[in-house]
Amino acid sequence: MAAIYSLYIINKSGGLIFYKDYGSAGRMDTNDSLRLASLWHSMHAISQQLSPVNGCAGIELLQADNFDLHCFQSLTGTKFFVVCEPGSPHMESLLKYIYELYTDYVLKNPFYEMEMPIRCELFDINLSQAVQKDRVALLGR
Amino acid sequence: MQFFGGSEISPSPPPPTVSGNNAHMLYVFNRNGVCLLYREWNRPLKTLNPQQDHKLMFGLLFSLKSLTAKMDPTSAEKGNLGVPQLPGQGCSFHSFRTNTYKLSFMESPSGIKIILVTHPRTGDLRESLKYIYNLYVEYVVKNPLYSPGAPIKCELFNSTLDQYVRGLG
Amino acid sequence: MIGVGKMKQYTNVLERPLSKGKQEVSLSGFAFLFSELVQYNQTQVDNITELERRLEDAGYAVGARILELLCHREKGNRRETRLLGILSFVHSTVWKVLFGKVADSLEKGTEHEDEYMISEKELLVNRFISIPKDMGAFNCGAFVAGIVRGVLENAGFPAVVTAHFVPVEGQQRPRTTILIKFAEEVLRREARLG
Repeated sequence: MAAIYSLYIINKSGGLIFYKDYGSAGRMDTNDSLRLASLWHSMHAISQQLSPVNGCAGIELLQADNFDLHCFQSLTGTKFFVVCEPGSPHMESLLKYIYELYTDYVLKNPFYEMEMPIRCELFDINLSQAVQKDRVALLGR
Repeated sequence: MQFFGGSEISPSPPPPTVSGNNAHMLYVFNRNGVCLLYREWNRPLKTLNPQQDHKLMFGLLFSLKSLTAKMDPTSAEKGNLGVPQLPGQGCSFHSFRTNTYKLSFMESPSGIKIILVTHPRTGDLRESLKYIYNLYVEYVVKNPLYSPGAPIKCELFNSTLDQYVRGLG
Repeated sequence: MIGVGKMKQYTNVLERPLSKGKQEVSLSGFAFLFSELVQYNQTQVDNITELERRLEDAGYAVGARILELLCHREKGNRRETRLLGILSFVHSTVWKVLFGKVADSLEKGTEHEDEYMISEKELLVNRFISIPKDMGAFNCGAFVAGIVRGVLENAGFPAVVTAHFVPVEGQQRPRTTILIKFAEEVLRREARLG
């Protein structure tokens, strides 16, 4: 059983630029994932408006009945979120690490156009290594 | 003769998870999105007028619910995004956390939604919400003067709720 | 290469020591600059061969300068005159200065007498670069190929230098091979020298 079900990266205007499924049940077509991404983008913004105190940066963790959703937003507004088994540990550090991979293998790639879908082989390779379960446990130490 | 459900509030209230007053506000919505009750204990930041605030909150819950139902990685039959879910249908959520607050959410089978906003480091409040729902059943639903769907103005409910939430943290 | 080196400021350039000292350059800084170099050149061309040529030209200038500098600094103003000498100079001295390590391998081509190959498992300039599928066999190592050509040509060894991806068995990523094909005159001279 996979600890991580899927990973999404959305750009600052809510467009899905990366989606990877690691074994969730049922089919999710491109249209669905795009719509989920933009829905999450607006929910994230609304959650900031509803904050009772100043300085809210949006949802970090959503606990659903069958999964947890951890979200990390970079200072430039790119959002990374993983859908994982409820109670999976070390997800914050995993997201930070994925962000590092993004800055290295996506942003430093001359053939990547900002805000566009990510198609970088090196990013994929390093990502799949990072997502492996034992690797996640290692990051938490 | 025996009364089921008893006259006293069934089980004893769950113990407070964190000490210190950390509850910000509480909303109760019915299934049509009417805000039956809004209580506020500590809310320094208000960006909207009450009507807009309630609407936005209900919209957020509605959309988050359809998001979680669609995203549910454990079920193969997810339906379409945005189609309204019946209470208890599909994968729902029970809380989310930002850096400034935590929102706990519960929905009864009849579509009553209870939302409690607290300090971000509050623990699991699922039992507490159930207890608040219990208070609602006891003091609001069983009140003969209360007509369903109307804003809650029951003195007894409000004071008990107040006491409980303050005790909660 | 990671970390920023500190350079002592000398008012008079003649007082500066010739030794290279400990000079480190930020890898990110380099990666971003190189990325911009590629992107800029991409806007100036309409096909991949042209892009490759432009990167090679950029490298050529680096190679010419580095030869000048290293002959002075490392070799006491002497330069290599023999084929194997200059190749090992590129493979070790030049590589060490540019990439902080010697190249992974230097081999002689099996099919042609005039071909030599310098291979690198992961070329520094390609560290963060993924080539899109529609660009085929394009390799940003063309820049390094240009450097090598610059060194060789200015040392009196004209050659055609190209960069290629070569798949390695059991490895996910191909390695980069810099293929050096010397001009005829070089080989004739080499034969004469015996």
